[in-house]
Amino acid sequence: MGTALAAADAALAFSPAQQLLVVGVCALTATVAHLALAVFNDGVRPFMLDFIHGRTTRNATGAVSFGLSAGFVFGLGAPMALSTGVLNPWLLFLPTDVLGILAPRAWLAPLLGAAWGAVVVFGLGGANELAHGLPVDFLTAMRQMSTPILFLFALFPALAVTKQFGRLRGGLTGAVELGLVVLTMRVWPGVFAGAPAMAAGVLMLIGFAVAADVRAVRTPPAPAPPGSEGAEDPMASLFSAGAARLRRHLPLFMALGAGVCVLAQMKVFGGGEATSFLIAKGHYTEAAQVDFYRVFGFLPLIATTALASGAYGIAGFTLVYPIGYLLPNPLVAAAVGALVFALEVLALSSVGRALGRLPSVRDCSEHLRAAIGDALGLAILFGSLMAANAMGGGLGILICGGLYLLNEAMGRPVVRMAAAPAAVLVGGVALNGLYWLGLFAPVTGGPA
Amino acid sequence: MAKILTGGVGKAEVATAVTGLGIDGIEIAVSNDMDAAAALRAGRADYFLGTCHTGAGASLGVLVGLLGQADCHTFGRSVPTEADVTALLADGKRVFGFALDRIETVAPLMARAIAARAV
Repeated sequence: MGTALAAADAALAFSPAQQLLVVGVCALTATVAHLALAVFNDGVRPFMLDFIHGRTTRNATGAVSFGLSAGFVFGLGAPMALSTGVLNPWLLFLPTDVLGILAPRAWLAPLLGAAWGAVVVFGLGGANELAHGLPVDFLTAMRQMSTPILFLFALFPALAVTKQFGRLRGGLTGAVELGLVVLTMRVWPGVFAGAPAMAAGVLMLIGFAVAADVRAVRTPPAPAPPGSEGAEDPMASLFSAGAARLRRHLPLFMALGAGVCVLAQMKVFGGGEATSFLIAKGHYTEAAQVDFYRVFGFLPLIATTALASGAYGIAGFTLVYPIGYLLPNPLVAAAVGALVFALEVLALSSVGRALGRLPSVRDCSEHLRAAIGDALGLAILFGSLMAANAMGGGLGILICGGLYLLNEAMGRPVVRMAAAPAAVLVGGVALNGLYWLGLFAPVTGGPA
Repeated sequence: MAKILTGGVGKAEVATAVTGLGIDGIEIAVSNDMDAAAALRAGRADYFLGTCHTGAGASLGVLVGLLGQADCHTFGRSVPTEADVTALLADGKRVFGFALDRIETVAPLMARAIAARAV
């Protein structure tokens, strides 16, 4: 069983305190989105600048937010929550972005956010129970996705190094990572095998990037073209305006940091793509490691878009996730989360300035995100086919793989990343339909 | 000669997709949002093609803030027609965002339309 990490038997059962917390945090995040102080979707943030300056309407910005988020809510957030029993930011915070921005009145935003939180904690549990009761249990089958996601995700630093620094260093990083995975499995069987490998890979990538930037500084700089000093100015003034706006609302951000950190501490929430599966298994230290390395892929993006737009991230630099998993109780998590957010907001301009001087480090975050996408793309497709096989054998593979291929042939109306899990859900419903028509017998004695 | 910079998650793929076409009249280079914004402001480059999962956020990044919404356009995940692109270029748009899984169709389309304008 060492390599097959099927998620624990998840029932999406929340204690009253957890239900209250989810509803409260959703109310808060919708309010913050309404005030245009923070949004979760990194894609929406650049559009917030025009909204803040009144150059575009609430409805237009809400439409942008909906268009950019819907696929990720139904394709990534919902299937992951259903198959792991653990909540995730796509399911909670993308809808509260949309609802908060769309709410025409300030008092309506927390109500809509709270309503969404209630739909998630009460509705999802019911949907989960209902689906598990079907003759073809596609939710249990979807746990097959965890093994490819967890293990392929571990390799993303090696892919990023290859993309940024070529085959030699990429191959070296890959070899180090593979060696560490094998070593971990042999020597520390209790540790998630990907965690030390990911740590080494991310450290190597950052090392290569910092070395490249240091070398670039040492070599005499190219003669600055006339007027380039002036070209630097608008960026600085835009960034300082954004930072000043965010600093003015520090108490609200501290409340937000506290809420998100407590959510992570309550063990009902996983922040990253691979994390929900680890949280579901109770591997909190490993989940913290995975989300900590993931931070490097997103920090520069979140910092620069926040400074440029004057709207921060709902989870900040996402550092509160790993910190939350490790903290002993909700009270400490609330205090630490508030402190972390305060430090992040106060440090934002220095982070922006530092990033301006470190082009390779900035590039490496883009390569990291591309690598996460590539690794997940394969893992999710492969895991979905494994799930299809678990619930319907060859017929399941035919239906789910066929739906995926059909989506490709039609020019991808569904985002590629979400197409395979969506196909599993549709396939699961179809197989249940066939069962009722007496045309299909469920795969018996499925993987326990 | 129009100088195009690429940025975002698929910046290398966009550059590769366009370079392989051998279109005359354009030069394409891999960049990033902050450097590209400075280059476009200073007139050292003409166009920016950004990519990310949604086609909007990371792909446009700080460019919307620095150059203004008027210069920027995102296709999101939609696939534009040649006429759409030509109209947008005529309108003065210089910064374009699109989704990663649309690179193979949108990048060559953009490059050809920009080359047609540059001649």
